Amino acid sequence: MQNEIAKSLVKKPSTLLYPFEKYESIPGSRGKVVFDMTKCIGCGLCIRDCPAFAIEMVGKGVTCDIKWYATRCVFCGQCVEVCPRAAITQETNYDLASGDKSSLVFEYKRLRPS
Amino acid sequence: MAWEVAVYNLLSVLVYPGIIFMVALALFYQWVDRRFFAKLQNRYGPIYTGPAGVLQPLADLIKLLAKEDIEPAAVDRHMFRAVPILLLTLTLTTLFIIPVAGPSALVWFEGDLIFIIFIMSLIAILAFLGGWGSTNMFSTIGGMRAALQSLGYEVPMAVSFIGPAIMAGSLSVSKIVGWQSSTAGYWTILLNPLGFGIVIVAFLAELERIPFDIPEAETEIVAGWQTEFSGRKLALIRLTFDLELVLASGLIAALYLGGPTGPIPFIPGIVWYIIKTIIVVLIFANLRALFARFRIDQMVSGSWKYLVPLAIVQIVILELLLR
Amino acid sequence: MSETSFTVPVGPQHPALKEPENFMVSVDGERVVDVKIRLGYVHRGGEKAFEARNYTQGLYLVERICGICAMAHQLCYANNIEALLGVAIPRRADYIRTIIAELERIHSHLLWVGVAGHEIGWDTLFMYTWRDREVVLDLMELTTGNRVLHATNAIGGVRRDLTPEMISKIAKGMRHLEERVKYYASMIPKERTIMKRAVGVGILKPQDAIALCAVGPTLRASGIKRDIRRDDPYSAYDETPFEVITHDGCDVASRVLVRVGELFESIKIVNYALEHLPSGPMRVRVPINVPAGENVSLVEAPRGEDIHYCKSNGTDKPERYKVRAPTLANWASMAAMLKGGYVADIPIVLAAIDPCMSCTDRMIFTDVSSKRKWYWTIEDLRRHSPKWRGK
Repeated sequence: MQNEIAKSLVKKPSTLLYPFEKYESIPGSRGKVVFDMTKCIGCGLCIRDCPAFAIEMVGKGVTCDIKWYATRCVFCGQCVEVCPRAAITQETNYDLASGDKSSLVFEYKRLRPS
Repeated sequence: MAWEVAVYNLLSVLVYPGIIFMVALALFYQWVDRRFFAKLQNRYGPIYTGPAGVLQPLADLIKLLAKEDIEPAAVDRHMFRAVPILLLTLTLTTLFIIPVAGPSALVWFEGDLIFIIFIMSLIAILAFLGGWGSTNMFSTIGGMRAALQSLGYEVPMAVSFIGPAIMAGSLSVSKIVGWQSSTAGYWTILLNPLGFGIVIVAFLAELERIPFDIPEAETEIVAGWQTEFSGRKLALIRLTFDLELVLASGLIAALYLGGPTGPIPFIPGIVWYIIKTIIVVLIFANLRALFARFRIDQMVSGSWKYLVPLAIVQIVILELLLR
Repeated sequence: MSETSFTVPVGPQHPALKEPENFMVSVDGERVVDVKIRLGYVHRGGEKAFEARNYTQGLYLVERICGICAMAHQLCYANNIEALLGVAIPRRADYIRTIIAELERIHSHLLWVGVAGHEIGWDTLFMYTWRDREVVLDLMELTTGNRVLHATNAIGGVRRDLTPEMISKIAKGMRHLEERVKYYASMIPKERTIMKRAVGVGILKPQDAIALCAVGPTLRASGIKRDIRRDDPYSAYDETPFEVITHDGCDVASRVLVRVGELFESIKIVNYALEHLPSGPMRVRVPINVPAGENVSLVEAPRGEDIHYCKSNGTDKPERYKVRAPTLANWASMAAMLKGGYVADIPIVLAAIDPCMSCTDRMIFTDVSSKRKWYWTIEDLRRHSPKWRGK
């Protein structure tokens, strides 16, 4: 074991100096959930299947808005899978922490015709 | 004039190479130890506070001093309060006997090596009393283990001190250093490497470091005899821990590596002292990373089965070589 | 001698335990005389939560029973519901599930070697094995999207496919890990400080192991060859060749060696499955409502045999879902292992069964309405089990 330890003296440490060095997420990793309201039809399948009850429909049907609670979400990606119009996507952004709880409720509103 | 000498002595004791210098050195060595230990484990140590993290031990000390000092109702109040203070003062007292800035220490007298052995036993007894006085189950077990462990390492440590004393013909640390730096002398490690090995192992047990940190085993008995101490008392105990490292490395450097003296005459003694003690600190850190923790019965029985016979053997070899 | 014994409470907060449980250990000096185990500190009401969620939501709830063996629990659940539905999933999905499950076994055993090293005071081993574990976690993030809690199973197959690029990365990771595991396998038996703490410690004789219903590597370290992957194959284990590793030492050192051996076997299984990955769809569609019925499915989680029972009633929510995780079966044998040992050995013996307390707590131990509390000894467990099954 001694030579293994001695080798560690010359190797670069394996620690990532977060937050000074950012971690590059591997593409495909499940992070922040984004809703595209131009495609959403308000079917409610994502709300039925969410295990953490993190999605809320404001209004009904094709004119609804969506609220996503980042504090409840477990980032499983079930909503991404089940949406029939592929309106939900997941970014690789995992760095969502904030000191203000109200900023962790993301509201996705439709553009209303003016 | 008498008062000038008095002021000089007072400053020597208080500042350099006295209390403040020793405390600063202790915090610096803790940083060296933590960085090296971390590098051996393929990670960083403290790197943010101060340049390269040098101020981290000081930050930890200040944090502990500022925390609440909780004294449980069931402890033995006098013992509980006295133990951290006594530990600190005893360690500092012993540090005055180690030569730091030159071949002779602040205080020296014939037989101060025996005095050091005596103080080390007192420190072990104080650890036991600290655990006993805390009345907590974990502390009691830790205190008992500290006492048991001192049964193991006291004898090999004392015998390994005698080797250099025989070679130098004196029982005073300052005289031993003086002999090693004189023309008739040489570093005692050259004739007695076995004694060097034994003193390193015995001091690992005295300092309560892995593989012998049994009295303070974190995963087994929470924090051993230190469990109930918090706040200022814990700060004093941690400071004692670091000062013991300075003491151990300084003593080993003085007895075996020639102390604060070196072949090049222009460099002051303190630089040699720091270089040699840092080497000893790095050896300790390396052994810490290399081994797991022993059980108390394995430690005591192993010490009496292996260390004590080896210690006697090294004295015998030394006598034969010197004749 | 017995009058000087006193009781050391280990837990619920203790540096030796990664999760809270309580062990009232009666000691006499440094010897352990008796152990009383009190569980229930991580009880989260999971089984009730299953009844309020449909089967798709249950997929993600079940993997949160334990973070380390998440894939095993989800695999067991998926097998359960697929058996109730009567669907056969594509062969490719079986192979992908096997690969992810074995990757999880690798990461769990590497984690365990590190934690065992930490328990005996050797932090260097902890740092090194967790650094090597990062290879597996990065592979998991590549293939499933998350480092732990992979959620790659769906009822009817797997959710994500393995692209050729992923396959080559997994193969490369396995080559790197094989070297590292070879190093640990050669280093650990030679390292005297570990062996002195592990040999002869926490003895569990084979007849005790069977009588006390031990499972997993704890059982296989007492020389008994029982492994669900061999005895009752699921997914692709009926086609992948592997050995069931056993050791005869019955002590902590054998458990270490069994797990290191299983690491090698897992790497072999992953390599075989990658080479023989069949083509085809990765998933079939399944109906939402599950016909009424009951099913029990078993899976070899990294810690042992994991049993799930499901009762469905024709709707999209289960009527009753019961989980018996492997660590619960190991507690009784742990009490037998601790008696007669040293206090200093408690953490390493605890760690040697690889306890996952989060998996354990789904049984209610206190009856709040009648204010009655009771301890579960092995006689209580034995009496309770036929009573419950008889319902």
